[in-house]
Amino acid sequence: MAEGAKLIGAGCATIALAGAGAGIGIVFGSFISSVARNPSLTKTLFGYAILGFALTEAIALFALMMAFLILFVF
Amino acid sequence: MYSAEKELFMMCFSPLEQFTLISLIPLHFGNFYFSFTNSSLFMLLATGIFLALFSLVTVNGGTLVPGPWQSFLEMIYEFVTSLVREQIGPKGTKYFPVIFTLFTFILFSNLIGMVPYSFTTTSHFLVTFTLSFAIFVAVTIIGFQIHGLHFFSFLLPPGAPLVLAPFLVVIELVSYCFRGISLGVRLFANMMAGHTLVKILSGFAWSMLSLAGLLKMASAIPFLVVFALMFLEVGVACLQAYVFTILTCIYLNDAIHLH
Repeated sequence: MAEGAKLIGAGCATIALAGAGAGIGIVFGSFISSVARNPSLTKTLFGYAILGFALTEAIALFALMMAFLILFVF
Repeated sequence: MYSAEKELFMMCFSPLEQFTLISLIPLHFGNFYFSFTNSSLFMLLATGIFLALFSLVTVNGGTLVPGPWQSFLEMIYEFVTSLVREQIGPKGTKYFPVIFTLFTFILFSNLIGMVPYSFTTTSHFLVTFTLSFAIFVAVTIIGFQIHGLHFFSFLLPPGAPLVLAPFLVVIELVSYCFRGISLGVRLFANMMAGHTLVKILSGFAWSMLSLAGLLKMASAIPFLVVFALMFLEVGVACLQAYVFTILTCIYLNDAIHLH
């Protein structure tokens, strides 16, 4: 019974990754737009884009961690 | 009957088994364990390989026109120097050795974990949390050392209406403390999730290969996905080292120049 509940809980926790996916798309979409406006800043903007991507992905991984916690720890 | 047994057999090997710690030289005093585990071995390997590489390449101070290995090391050095200089400015040069060590340790630990059947030290929360908590405490101490009690003014951003001050300070405090944890969790989660994903997919490929007929040929699909994922994982390994380092520089900058 608890095993099935764990599986359901882990599945529900994975829904949060949708928001993170949208967020990462927004980060790189803005990067492409801004490089199209001002290609000379590509290097700096790429650094900021990668930083933004990593911070957004961290949220996605927090959600994944919750899923793993529910599945394997509790 | 047969397929149920087979399922049970496959479920016995969980994808999290690759993260088990094996003590190679057990050593404990009562409840305190100081064993030399495979985690310690791979940490030694990461630092040892980098030190060996560095000293072998810079014999006689290196050549004026760099060879490939010297060029690689010069790129890493230049990269970390530009990071520190850009984020912290001239006051940051005294923290450069620590940040360089941090960057190369995380980079080499992550990359060594990419080798099949090896062990990723940074895929354990305790390792990454130790690093990030130590950095958090160090940055706070540096902030108090430079600014004294005025460091608390960091918690109230300039230009905020004074009415909101109580709520803002609490929220800023929570956010500040969360930084220390999130730095470690980010690295840990990336490494663990990446390796678990590769393990699960390659488990699919292997079990499909052992079945008959169409599935045996279709096992090429998860195999190709694992192949593509390996590139992504190497990219993520380098990226996570970069992000850890740049966030450390940003937190140091916040402590040295308040806002």
